[in-house]
Amino acid sequence: MRLFEYQAKQLFKQYGLPVPKAVLVHDLDGVRGALASLTLPVAIKSQVLAGGRGKAGGIALVDDPGQAEREASRIFGLSIGGEKPDSLLVEESYPHVNEMYLSVSLDRGDRAFVTIAASAGGINVESMAGKVIRKISLDGIDASFAAEVASLLRLPPDQSSQFASILLSLERLAREKECELAEINPLAVGKDGTLMPLDAKVIIDDNALFRHPEFAKLHPEDEFEGEASRQGFAFVRLGGDIAVVGNGAGLVLSTLDLVGDAGGNPACFLDLGGGAQQERIEAALRLVNRLPGVDRILINIYGGITRTTDVAAGINTVLAEGVVKPVYARVSGAEEDEARRLLAGTPVRMYRTAPEAVEAVVKGA
Amino acid sequence: MMLPKEGDPILVQNMPGKYGRLHTRLMLDYGTNVAAGTAPGKGGQSVEGVPVYNTVAEAVQKTGAKASVCFVPAEFMLAAGEEALSAGIRLLVIITEHVPIRDELRLLQLAESRGASIIGPNCPGLIIPSQKVKLGIMPAPSFSPGRVALYSRSGTLTYEIAGQLTSAGFGQSVAVGIGGDPINGTTPVEWMDHVQAMEDTSAVVAVGEIGGDAEERLARHIEKSGYSKPIVAYIAGRHAPKEKKMGHAGAIIYGDYGTADSKIRALKAAGVRVASTPAEVPALLKQALS
Repeated sequence: MRLFEYQAKQLFKQYGLPVPKAVLVHDLDGVRGALASLTLPVAIKSQVLAGGRGKAGGIALVDDPGQAEREASRIFGLSIGGEKPDSLLVEESYPHVNEMYLSVSLDRGDRAFVTIAASAGGINVESMAGKVIRKISLDGIDASFAAEVASLLRLPPDQSSQFASILLSLERLAREKECELAEINPLAVGKDGTLMPLDAKVIIDDNALFRHPEFAKLHPEDEFEGEASRQGFAFVRLGGDIAVVGNGAGLVLSTLDLVGDAGGNPACFLDLGGGAQQERIEAALRLVNRLPGVDRILINIYGGITRTTDVAAGINTVLAEGVVKPVYARVSGAEEDEARRLLAGTPVRMYRTAPEAVEAVVKGA
Repeated sequence: MMLPKEGDPILVQNMPGKYGRLHTRLMLDYGTNVAAGTAPGKGGQSVEGVPVYNTVAEAVQKTGAKASVCFVPAEFMLAAGEEALSAGIRLLVIITEHVPIRDELRLLQLAESRGASIIGPNCPGLIIPSQKVKLGIMPAPSFSPGRVALYSRSGTLTYEIAGQLTSAGFGQSVAVGIGGDPINGTTPVEWMDHVQAMEDTSAVVAVGEIGGDAEERLARHIEKSGYSKPIVAYIAGRHAPKEKKMGHAGAIIYGDYGTADSKIRALKAAGVRVASTPAEVPALLKQALS
């Protein structure tokens, strides 16, 4: 789960990391109120989870109240990677002479947590020059580890000690809150040499959330995503007109590729999960059937532990409830002939293979 | 990695749970010697005629099991895995989904220090058709004995592709789901090295998906090691959006990291034939073997 910048910065404060003075606002009145307690110039920063908000115009630096309101109003109207900002962080700008980079993250390939640090920041971590990468023990780091990383960056002595203490705090935060990523980019160096995190990116390990109930209520949930997660489905909205439903993440992912290759636009990715039973098929169909934008429904089931006859019975139940958008189904595996017989005479279009079903659903035939 | 042979005793952890029960029966039906189960406080019960013990140590002592299949809920998986590895289990198959990353890493460290292997978590397990060995949840009819080794990061896609291989006359020497999490107990590189040494295997099918750089690492390894067995790969997620978890915790693209295109490019450059759909796999395999 990715946190909004303001949430990540609240965590930073809890862990003793410095952050610029800022106020979170939800409307233009809020902006006016915030300016009363902050010193201009300020940065107005959209609070969205999508990447690339700077490039999308989601951040503005302003010098006076009038400009602040105009920019805030403009940013509230933006859609950044499909996301409309519900809130803005109005933050005092921090004059600085250099930008550094620091993160603690999971290195999947090396199967370890690492810290990455660079004395010159940038957008792209991959191509950062002179970056330092060090593996981190699951039990944490000590002051000498932090001092070593700082010395490798060749910082002046006063910055070096600040850096080491920031790394220690960030690592403790990442470990205790079980982050996949805790990142400061940029870590600004002020004119007087004081280090200040200007942005904060934190991603919590979803699978560890049961140990961190404090994060449970942080995110406003999309109605459909909320419903899907209560049902235990893996669900992603994609914005097209063909709902894609199947059993198994890889199978549904490969079905999205077939749809995309055939020129179709998936409306969603819905993985029923393993061993899906009749009620789950029904719940999934009801959900995608009322998802805005959905025109047709594609079902791709490879029956194994999931019984194809359960799938057919589930489709029939939902059909009997009334209007259902056109269903194109590929149901394969054990007992598929029986499943086919259960669906004979219904409006469901049945196909033997996934490519055949995809071709038909994309054409809308 | 020590793979079990026909008749080797197998342990099932949390056997009396819903999935433990179901799959104990299906593994027994396949011909696998499920010799013991465990569940704390449920010692003395039996499931499908298989005795259940309170601890792994007791079950190992009674049966000599060296491999275990875990149906333990995610929040207890770290403790269950530590118990199994400490009791001498050498192959730990973790079916459980949603195990926290740091718990997986701790188990991996313990396994390494004891010379044991982990498959999963969040995986369908392992099947060796010629040995009637099934340590997991895959549907048996999709698989048949043969000379192709199959690995995959996804469950159902493993069954789908195994089913197509089986229909096309390509049986499998071994098929494994390595798991859909960001961390795999056994990586593609480790798995492919194991398969390279298997005499009963003449080709490999590698099924990957978006997220991480396991396939890029595999491609580099294939080039560097001069991998000798023909490989056909399939990578799911060419049309997946960025920054979204696509069902599996590990199936996520960050920026340009983890895209299907990068993986496909790397594998092709290493001489691997890459299928653009699961249905293409058998035809490419036929080509590779001719």
